[in-house]
Amino acid sequence: MLKTTLAGLRAHKLRLLLTSLAITLGVGFIAGTFVLTDTIEAGFRQKFAAAADKIDVVVLPAEDGGRERQAVGADLLEKVRGVEGVADAQGVVRGTAALIGKDGKAAGDYPTSAISIPEGRLNRTEITGGAAPRSAAEAVLDENTAKTRGFAVGDRITVLDSKNVKHEFTLVGLFDVGVDQALAYSGAVGFTTGTAMKMSGEKDFRKIDVAAAEGVTAETLRASVATALGTGAQVETGAKHAEELAAANGADTKILTLGLLLFGLVAMFVAALVIYNTFNILVAQRTREMALLRCIGATRRQVFGSIVLESAVVGLISSVLGLLTGLGLGAGALAVIGRTGLDVPTGAVALAPRTVAVGMVLGIVVTVAAALLPARAATRVAPIAALRSQVEEQTFRTGVVRVAFAGLFLLAGVGATVLGVTQDPGEAALFTVMGGGALTFLAVLILGPVLVKPLSALVGWLPGRLFGVPGRLAVDNSQRNPKRSATTTVALTIGVTLMTLISVLTATLRVTYNAKLDEQFPVDYLVASQGDQGTLPRALAEDLRARPELASVVALRAASAKIGKHGEFEVGTFTAAADFTPKAATGSFGDLKPGTAALADYVVKDLKVEVGDTIAVKTTEDGTVQLKVVATFLGENALLPEVTVPEQDFDGYFGRLGDGQIIADVKDGVAEENARRAVEAAAQPYPTAKVSSSTEIRGEFDEALDMMLMIITGLLGLAILISLLGIANTLSLSVHERTRESALLRALGLTRPQLRRMLSVEALVLGVIGALVGVALGAVFGWAATTTMTTGVVFQLPVPQVLAFVALSGLAGVVAAVLPARRAARASIVGSLASG
Amino acid sequence: MTITGEVGAWNARGNAASAVVARGLTKVYGQGDAAVHALRGVDVSFETSAFTAIMGPSGSGKSTLMHCLAGLDAVSGGKVHIGDVELTGLNDKQLTLLRRERIGFIFQAFNLLPTLTAEQNIRLPLEISGRKADQDLFDRVVETVGLRDRLGHKPTELSGGQQQRVAVARALISKPQVIFADEPTGNLDSRSGAEVLSFLRTSVRELGQTIVMVTHDPVAASYADRVIFLRDGLLVSELMRPSPQSVLDTLMKLEA
Repeated sequence: MLKTTLAGLRAHKLRLLLTSLAITLGVGFIAGTFVLTDTIEAGFRQKFAAAADKIDVVVLPAEDGGRERQAVGADLLEKVRGVEGVADAQGVVRGTAALIGKDGKAAGDYPTSAISIPEGRLNRTEITGGAAPRSAAEAVLDENTAKTRGFAVGDRITVLDSKNVKHEFTLVGLFDVGVDQALAYSGAVGFTTGTAMKMSGEKDFRKIDVAAAEGVTAETLRASVATALGTGAQVETGAKHAEELAAANGADTKILTLGLLLFGLVAMFVAALVIYNTFNILVAQRTREMALLRCIGATRRQVFGSIVLESAVVGLISSVLGLLTGLGLGAGALAVIGRTGLDVPTGAVALAPRTVAVGMVLGIVVTVAAALLPARAATRVAPIAALRSQVEEQTFRTGVVRVAFAGLFLLAGVGATVLGVTQDPGEAALFTVMGGGALTFLAVLILGPVLVKPLSALVGWLPGRLFGVPGRLAVDNSQRNPKRSATTTVALTIGVTLMTLISVLTATLRVTYNAKLDEQFPVDYLVASQGDQGTLPRALAEDLRARPELASVVALRAASAKIGKHGEFEVGTFTAAADFTPKAATGSFGDLKPGTAALADYVVKDLKVEVGDTIAVKTTEDGTVQLKVVATFLGENALLPEVTVPEQDFDGYFGRLGDGQIIADVKDGVAEENARRAVEAAAQPYPTAKVSSSTEIRGEFDEALDMMLMIITGLLGLAILISLLGIANTLSLSVHERTRESALLRALGLTRPQLRRMLSVEALVLGVIGALVGVALGAVFGWAATTTMTTGVVFQLPVPQVLAFVALSGLAGVVAAVLPARRAARASIVGSLASG
Repeated sequence: MTITGEVGAWNARGNAASAVVARGLTKVYGQGDAAVHALRGVDVSFETSAFTAIMGPSGSGKSTLMHCLAGLDAVSGGKVHIGDVELTGLNDKQLTLLRRERIGFIFQAFNLLPTLTAEQNIRLPLEISGRKADQDLFDRVVETVGLRDRLGHKPTELSGGQQQRVAVARALISKPQVIFADEPTGNLDSRSGAEVLSFLRTSVRELGQTIVMVTHDPVAASYADRVIFLRDGLLVSELMRPSPQSVLDTLMKLEA
């Protein structure tokens, strides 16, 4: 039996290859994910280990009941230096100090980081040009910031200290930020340790790096430093600290791995459907072969075994190919990442034993599992079938059991979805809807064969009229084996459903977000301090109010304060302006008089209070004050602080703080560029004041959404590709099955192009059916999902995109039919009539 | 070779009204040592409105001859005319159109498309060529083969005999210059076979149809006006107004 199976496989190499391709792609994607993330992780590990070489012992903030204290007291440094066996100890300073760009404004969206660069072997940073700073008048910049801001060694640079006072330095060198993603993101200025503390305003160290004297091991030194410091700090060897850093970083790559694997699993599920269908068709076609085997004495078990064995061989081969594909995909992705200039360290690209194991097991298990049902069908072939001259067409009748099961799933699915939609937005609702979606999808999967007929009649209406006889025959063919057509199209449906869902989600979120912005108040300009850190002088808002181009200017101020026993909240206020009246959900902002407060809806929930209740706010200037709640508002779409108090009260509670944000509206009829110029001019004297317009904010949001849409679409593309392989596979097997039928049609006068067209139309119908079901499911569940994410959803069906999905699916189906159709058209009529 | 000459002379008689004519027809499969000469130079003509049977032992080349005559297979040498059209120079598209317009087919098995009803199957050749069915002719043909009450059925719901009758009707409906039938009764019991054969003969007598039938069954051949015999790719004998016995005798002589 083994020999028969293997001989059969050898005889049908092409069929084997087509079948394998689906699994190969799925396994390839999963293996590629592992290769990519493993390589990145190895790269990080290497870099961390290299950095740790220089440092023997690290003194870290003591852990304080789970809440880490952020800093190591500066006083500890002298203590450490006094410990025997310490050759050198340096405090590591890390804060912010905004670099001023050549335009006089703070550079970048976030202030640059300020770091200390010690001399000697404890210098962690790699100076790549010039020298390290040696005096209070010298500074260094990271390479990237220097390049983008146009500074070179020898230039004078201006940096703001923590009180926004300008200081000038000579740029004496450039350095590489290495694996520190935070520094790479913000950009960094390096100073001597003392200057770094002054500029950043930090009084303490992040940690203290310690170098051992000659002959002292890291572990010995760790013990003696720990003894000297007692419980005031946590002391670790450099090597262990590096490992911890690498592990923390690994947690980040884990999220990437998980996200990618999710798409990989979708692809594998689609591949399983393709394999299931392929084996089903193969078994149907080989009925006589099976029957012959049974005639000459093969048991049912042996027939079953031969199919399972065949699938195992297919699984094995495709998994091996998949691993190789994965290696290629991983390397390709790394090359792309390298080209985009992202500073991601990489080790050698390699297949970890785990990757091989997961890939092989998944590939083989999925293939064999998908082939089990077809294998069972093969055992039902009666020996007598070998003697029948004509293979009977499989007829399909809508069974009661099928409809009952589908009904149950559908009911459960719809029920869960309705439940999720009517729930308050939140994770629980989202998961309920997701469960409902999965159940409904199962119902569609079960009901597929029943749906195929009416749907193909619908979809085939136009082609049937447009393409004459070939068109009508194609539509008939697409209905003749509903089970097969359903499985083929469901594979495509999965991809299209997810794509539609994502595009509905993004379109809806986009419009909803914009609508909320508009509803709240049409903000034209937002002036905020760089990176939302620190405040802006009140004079800026005054200046803006004086500009004739602007209609209303509102300043928002906030401070952090404890409320009762509930922890810290953002307590703030807004300045009054003519056109600005915030909307209250309950109560009224008109009642916002001294001694009262308005709360965001989520704060109301947290504090378990309602309008009329009183809250206790711990202020800095006025002790704990009792405030009466007079209004609540929707927190997520208001710019207001979550606890809003009257303007005069705020100064009394927290002192005359600066403005956090200033929002400004342009007067009607003022040209966009004039208004912009006015706002920019007002902000010019304040380097950290960053101006953004609502169109910019929307643009950024749009861009982020578009990016997400693109990435997800790209990742789902794989599942779509696999389902297209499925269509090609089904068609080519159908073509094989209908060899004599095609020959008959050719004998009766169907030309080759007509025969090809017939198969193309069949593929078109299958593709469009799959897409239609997918679009319907995707749109419904896209809508359901958005209602669970936020309130006041403005549903959007991105019609052009959805139409494009349908059109592309049809087109893709036609492309998938090209090769099978060519083979069918090329076959000799005489030879085909004789076969079978 | 002597026999060829003899038969050639027989065929030269009265082919003024020939529907199909073949001259010096050869067909070789494969190349070199593996070459199989299926037809070694066949001259034959088939009269219009006549029912001709082609007979011969297995491997004599009778099916190959039919395939070559019908433009289903390319010839290696010689010429074939269907009416005034020469087949040998035509490309695939022209051949296809010729089959569509001028030739009808009845095969031994698998004559019908399983997805279409009997009526749709009958009308299929006309639909493919975009012609309108002559309703009178359709009714007459359906009446002749006795399928009136079966028109809405799919092939799987018809008996073997009924399926072949649908095939006969389909071949007749487009009024082709010639119908080629390849063992049309090979899969049928004798009663259904007799039915189909009498329909074929009726269509020759009453509709003036030309039919060329390949068969190995002497009884089936006896329905024809004329039987020609092939052996080893050569035309070796001919019989006019055959009876089952005379066909059998000729075959016995050839097998010997």
